[in-house]
Amino acid sequence: MAAIGSAVGLGNVWRFPYVCYNNGGGAFLIPFFVAIFSAGIPLLILEFSVGHWSQGTPPKAFKKVSKKFEWTGWLTVLIPFIVATYYVVVMAWCFSYMIYSFDLRWGLQAESFFSSFLGDTGTPLIIGGISLPILLGLVAVWVSIFLILYKGVKRIGKVVALTVPIPTILLIILAIRGLTLPGAMEGIAYYLTPDFSKLGDVNVWLAAYAQVFFSFSLAQGIMITYASFLKKKSDLTNNAFIVALADAGTAFLAGFAVFSVVGYLTVSQGIGIDALTMAGPGLTFITYPTAVSLLPFAASIFGIFFFIALLTFGIDSAFSMIEPISASVNYKWKISKAKATAIMCILGFFFSLIFTTGGGIYLLEILDHFVTNFGLVSIGLLECLIFGWLYRIYRLREHANETSDIMLGRWWDILIKYIIPLILIFLLIFTIIQNVTNNPYPNYPPWLIVLMGIAPLLIITGLSLVLMKIKGNREDAET
Amino acid sequence: MSLPLSAIVMLIFGAVVLYGGLAYFLFRAYRGREK
Repeated sequence: MAAIGSAVGLGNVWRFPYVCYNNGGGAFLIPFFVAIFSAGIPLLILEFSVGHWSQGTPPKAFKKVSKKFEWTGWLTVLIPFIVATYYVVVMAWCFSYMIYSFDLRWGLQAESFFSSFLGDTGTPLIIGGISLPILLGLVAVWVSIFLILYKGVKRIGKVVALTVPIPTILLIILAIRGLTLPGAMEGIAYYLTPDFSKLGDVNVWLAAYAQVFFSFSLAQGIMITYASFLKKKSDLTNNAFIVALADAGTAFLAGFAVFSVVGYLTVSQGIGIDALTMAGPGLTFITYPTAVSLLPFAASIFGIFFFIALLTFGIDSAFSMIEPISASVNYKWKISKAKATAIMCILGFFFSLIFTTGGGIYLLEILDHFVTNFGLVSIGLLECLIFGWLYRIYRLREHANETSDIMLGRWWDILIKYIIPLILIFLLIFTIIQNVTNNPYPNYPPWLIVLMGIAPLLIITGLSLVLMKIKGNREDAET
Repeated sequence: MSLPLSAIVMLIFGAVVLYGGLAYFLFRAYRGREK
């Protein structure tokens, strides 16, 4: 359940529907399913097997393969910590918007309202002041994360028993409401009408693999950490299928909630779909709130439902990003779980502050671009290389098969050793070429890109090596 | 406006694979627990 909660996050609502629409509509489902079954589920099985086999945190798991790979484990847990520092800020926006939903404070001027809410300076070069509503939301979210994590895995179980079903139910309600609005079918037609000619475009296939990779919380040490808590006889393969299909199913459902409302907006305002922001913060804080304001009745209730759904989807992902590093620190230095969690939450809070400023949204975009496109993909590749090539992958397969009904064959070894690394290398090279030939930030000075994009990745790589070298307080046979 | 037939086909395709698949694996998990 916690793994499902971790995988299903804000990206399912604000990323998948747009990626689907932009890459062939319904036809995108074909490469998406191919990516799920050829890369997403095999990688989930790998991470579950590694966590279950090592019975420990990512640094311990990688160290079990060879002492010199412990740094990879630290890198794996530092990446989600970095992601959490800005992910939590987006959740703070959702927190404020949930409160604003009571009186639909943005009115019909959602764009300018969002801009003044952020204290937007229009450029990352002018930092501006800290926005008080965001700061209050930020404190609320970090405190929630601490309260959920500090007592360990039992409390996580209790929380996800609520935070997984509640947003799903709310999303179903929002989708039903959306589908009953005039113009909803126009929106769904945008979402699902297939353009099969796009299947010949390599970009569409790469988009499908990227979507699966980012959406399943892979290469963040989260699944390894959660799998270490599983019972000895847990069916790892079946669990991987459940997590993957629940995540993808939620994203598919979110498409109906989003596009039905988008269709309503285009019809009621007489504008084309191209005039609307269809993904990311623009969808969540401008397009959707505008549509909510235009609803004929109970508009604020649907606004509240939408932002509660986002908050509850997001909180699982957010605490799952902190749990691996907090568990790793707790394990290596025998610090109490409460203390390790408090240290990480306080550090995370201070790092988050930069994103609550007027230029924060721009800094957030740069960091997210580099961490997801380069950091996560590189770690996924390292995972495949270390466990596929430097460890005997068949042992992990046998470990998964010991407890699973569905038997993995040698095809799984081939996917982990050859196919998935090739896809990830291709994805990495393609992204590098795209970034070099088509600078995504032409108006920003190079030093800013280095400072917010490249430097954090280099710093956490160096930090991983340092953490490996520092002697822990638990020097048992395996660590 | 009604939904184009091709969109309806993709809707059914997506729903069967995702929700049918999810139901199937949840059933397997439930059956495994019963054992």
